[in-house]
Amino acid sequence: MQATWLVFRREIGQYLGSPLAYLMGAAFLLLTGITFNNDLTLSIGNKPLEPALIPSLLASIMILFAPLLTMRLLAEEQREGTLELLLTAPISDSSIVIGKFLSAWAYFSILLALTLIYQVIAVSIAFPDISHVLGSYLGIWLYAGATLAIGTLFSATTENQILAAFLSMITLIVLYFGDAISQIVSNTQLADVMFNLTLRGHFMASFAIGILRAEDLVYYAGIIVIALFIAIQIVSSRRWR
Amino acid sequence: MIEVKNLVKKYGNFTAVDNISFQAQPGEIVGLLGPNGAGKTTTMRVLTGYMPVTSGSVKVAGYDVTDDSLEVRQRVGYMPEQVPLYPDMTVEAYVLYWARLRRTKNPKQAVKAVLEQFQLLDRRKKLVRSLSKGLRQRLGLAQALVHNPPVIILDEPTIGIDPKQVVEVRDIVRSLRDNHTVLFSSHILSEVEQICDRVVIINNGKIVAEGTTDILGEQTHSDLALYVHIEGDKEQIQGLLQQIPAVSDVQAHESGFIIRGNNDELRHAVMQLIAEQRLELLEMRPIDRRLEDIFIKLVD
Ligand SMILES: Nc1ncnc2c1ncn2[C@@H]1O[C@H](COP(=O)(O)OP(=O)(O)OP(=O)(O)O)[C@@H](O)[C@H]1O
Ligand SMILES: [Mg+2]
Repeated sequence: MQATWLVFRREIGQYLGSPLAYLMGAAFLLLTGITFNNDLTLSIGNKPLEPALIPSLLASIMILFAPLLTMRLLAEEQREGTLELLLTAPISDSSIVIGKFLSAWAYFSILLALTLIYQVIAVSIAFPDISHVLGSYLGIWLYAGATLAIGTLFSATTENQILAAFLSMITLIVLYFGDAISQIVSNTQLADVMFNLTLRGHFMASFAIGILRAEDLVYYAGIIVIALFIAIQIVSSRRWR
Repeated sequence: MIEVKNLVKKYGNFTAVDNISFQAQPGEIVGLLGPNGAGKTTTMRVLTGYMPVTSGSVKVAGYDVTDDSLEVRQRVGYMPEQVPLYPDMTVEAYVLYWARLRRTKNPKQAVKAVLEQFQLLDRRKKLVRSLSKGLRQRLGLAQALVHNPPVIILDEPTIGIDPKQVVEVRDIVRSLRDNHTVLFSSHILSEVEQICDRVVIINNGKIVAEGTTDILGEQTHSDLALYVHIEGDKEQIQGLLQQIPAVSDVQAHESGFIIRGNNDELRHAVMQLIAEQRLELLEMRPIDRRLEDIFIKLVD
């Protein structure tokens, strides 16, 4: 626990201390801000504000954003050789991986919390369904956790950050659009099953439209646990090579 | 403190460390000497719990590296060959991080003490990336010592730094003797002679010699190599050098020759030749015995 906290604290310091992180944060806020503003302008007098607007946007953005946030985590430690010191410190391998994953998730949570500003504005002028809004935020928060865990996993596989980002992007794209394959063969039953396996299947069909389902929580938590478990095995296996 | 018995380490089919055994007692500095690819780093990585043994047993600070890896890791300070750094951290934060991960008591105090010891205290707020190579080396040592481990493992700590800093690092290592067991690897013979109490020489993963550094000196000291540069016709001078009875071998080197021969007589014989033949001696200096020479001698 102690070690997880120490690793977490160092990593979150890296996120908040690096100019790149601020650039990414700025891009994140700009993108969500523009989207919100467009929706606001369109809505006036036409339609109600979309409550899950920003979370829905983030669902697709995370496919690019999660790999960028996480590619550094373990790949850099391998390249710099600091992983050798971590693995010869009296700490468990899981505390390294979990501390790193949690730091990425915490950094994302900060950015996500900042977008709540838009919701405050929305509430003051358009009275959206607040539980719908909060539900969609919970959904995207878990969804992001799953994508960041997958990013952490691929960061453990290589010392090349670009390769790590590339591999996790491909994986996330497959997990996101996986059902498209079954749509091509136009088998609707298969498409349904596939849709229920994809990342967006558990977001668009529930959180985004104001529904909370246990299966979606289990799905994202499951992905997090499995991805981190594999990442820990990969880190441990380095010890045995 | 360190007990290695019949250690074998294979990478796939390749045997990097082949059945070696040695020990290091508390208060002892043991040198692991060997040319590139000898298996020094591999041995150290096994001792620090970074890699498992293929076979054999390794005990460090009383604990088996396979069965009690965490206990071993708690008691070892390790500086890898390339000092692993976090460039974006400050000097102080970097050492504090390792101190805390290794559960040091009073980490802040321990960090301050170790930074003082390595004259890094005034640079504690500097970013690691801004340090020179020599300072990075010292930071690597500070990191390895901050939790005051009984066993210290240093992988070629003097490689790639300038001569003044080499001397500094050697002094630091020598000063560790009293309270620690130190395993120190190098491929420089004279360095190991200066610093270590005992030396284990390995080549191709096997131990070729082991003993106190004095014994090593005796085994290899009887021959001396000198570089001499004498004004005049090269062939003629080579002929003259070869005629000296004390000289066993003459090789052209740079603008002069390297001569080998009996330690006690060699210099004297050369000076005599210079005087008799009225030659002009431009340069004469001893050549560091090369590790390879010693291997050849030891393996013979
Ligand atoms: N991870 C690895 N996988 C496969 N072979 C390796 C690995 N690490 C080292 N080797 C091989 O094992 C042998 C011993 O390597 P090691 O790094 O232990 O030597 P060394 O004595 O530290 O050499 P140097 O002075 O160059 O640091 C070398 O032939 C090396 O090529
Ligand atoms: Mg080495």
